[in-house]
Amino acid sequence: MSKAKKILLGLLVLFIAMQFIRPAHNASNTVQAADMVTHFNTPSNVAGILSASCYDCHSSNTRYPWYANVQPIGWLLANHVKDGKGELNFSEFTTYSKRRQLSKLKSILNSIKDGSMPLSSYTLLHNDAKLSEDSKASLIQWTAKVIDSLSRL
Amino acid sequence: MKIIVFSIALIATVLSACSNNNSTAKEETKTSDTATTSAPASNITNQQAPSVDEAVTAYLHLKNALTSDNGKEAAEAGKHLHEAMQKLDNASFADNQKKVYADVIEDIKEHAEHISTNGEKIAHQREHFDMLSKDMYDLVKSVKPSQTLYKDHCPMYNDKKGAIWLSEMKEIKNPYYGKEMLTCGKQQEEVK
Repeated sequence: MSKAKKILLGLLVLFIAMQFIRPAHNASNTVQAADMVTHFNTPSNVAGILSASCYDCHSSNTRYPWYANVQPIGWLLANHVKDGKGELNFSEFTTYSKRRQLSKLKSILNSIKDGSMPLSSYTLLHNDAKLSEDSKASLIQWTAKVIDSLSRL
Repeated sequence: MKIIVFSIALIATVLSACSNNNSTAKEETKTSDTATTSAPASNITNQQAPSVDEAVTAYLHLKNALTSDNGKEAAEAGKHLHEAMQKLDNASFADNQKKVYADVIEDIKEHAEHISTNGEKIAHQREHFDMLSKDMYDLVKSVKPSQTLYKDHCPMYNDKKGAIWLSEMKEIKNPYYGKEMLTCGKQQEEVK
C-alpha cells in the first residue's frame, strides 16, 4: 500500500470518528410563555418572518438542515447557534429586564435597517431567510411599535 | 495491520483531544473565578469606598473618542469600561442604589463589549453609545461620582428622536456626529 493511500485511509477513519461526536440539538419543542411572539401579541406575518429569518439562531428551536448531521459542519452550526442565543434569545425574551428588552429591540431595529442581520453567510444557504423589502418594512414598523409601547410603560 | 494500528491511534488522539479541551476549559473558569474573588480585596487595600469613578472615567474617554471620530480608541475605552463595571463592587451601596445597579449592570457591560469589538464600525459604536448613555445617566443619578457631570442632549440623533450623553465639560462637543456637527446640542442638566 502506498503512502498516499495510507494517508487517505487515515483521513477517512478520522472523518468517520468525527461523526460520533455530535453536539446536542437546540430544540425545546415547546413554545415558551416567555417567547416574544406569544407575549407581545405579534401579528402572524411578523411572527412568520421572525421564525423564518431569525429563530434558527435566536431561539431555543433550530430547524436543522440535513448537513447539520455531518461533522464538523454540525459543530460549526452548534457554535453559531450558541453565539446567536447568547446575544439574543427570542424564546426567553420576556425574561430580560425592561431595560434589556428595549436595548435588544433597538439593536434589532438597527441591524435590520443596516442589513447586518440576518447574516449573509446564513442567507446564502437559507434562501427563504432573506428579507424582502416588504418584510423589512413590516419588521421595522412592528419593532418600532413595540419599542414605543414598552418605553411608555 | 499497520493501518489498523494507525487508525486506532488516530481515533485515540481525536478523542483525547476532545477531553483535553474540556479540562482546559474547566481550568480557565477556575482561574477566572479566583480572579473575580480577589478583586474586592484590592479595593479594600486602596482604602476607598467603591465608586463609579473608574467607570465614569472610561465612559468619558469613550465619549471623547467618539467626539473625535476615533473608533479604535473608542473600542479601547469600551474595553476599559467593561472591566470597570466588572470590578464595581456594590456591597456598600444602599438598597435603592443596588436596585439601579442591578438594572443597568448587564446592559452597560453588553454595550461596552459591543463597542470594544466594533472599532471599525463607528456608526455601530454610536448606536450602542446612545443606549449606554441612558444607563450611565441612571447609574450616576443614583450612585454619585466625585466629579460634576453634565447631561447634554442631541436633538437630531435617532431619526430626530434625540439622544443624550454625559460630559465633564460645559462646552458642547457632540459625540454622535463627531466633527460633522461638533457643537450641535444643548445642556439639559448638571449632575452632581
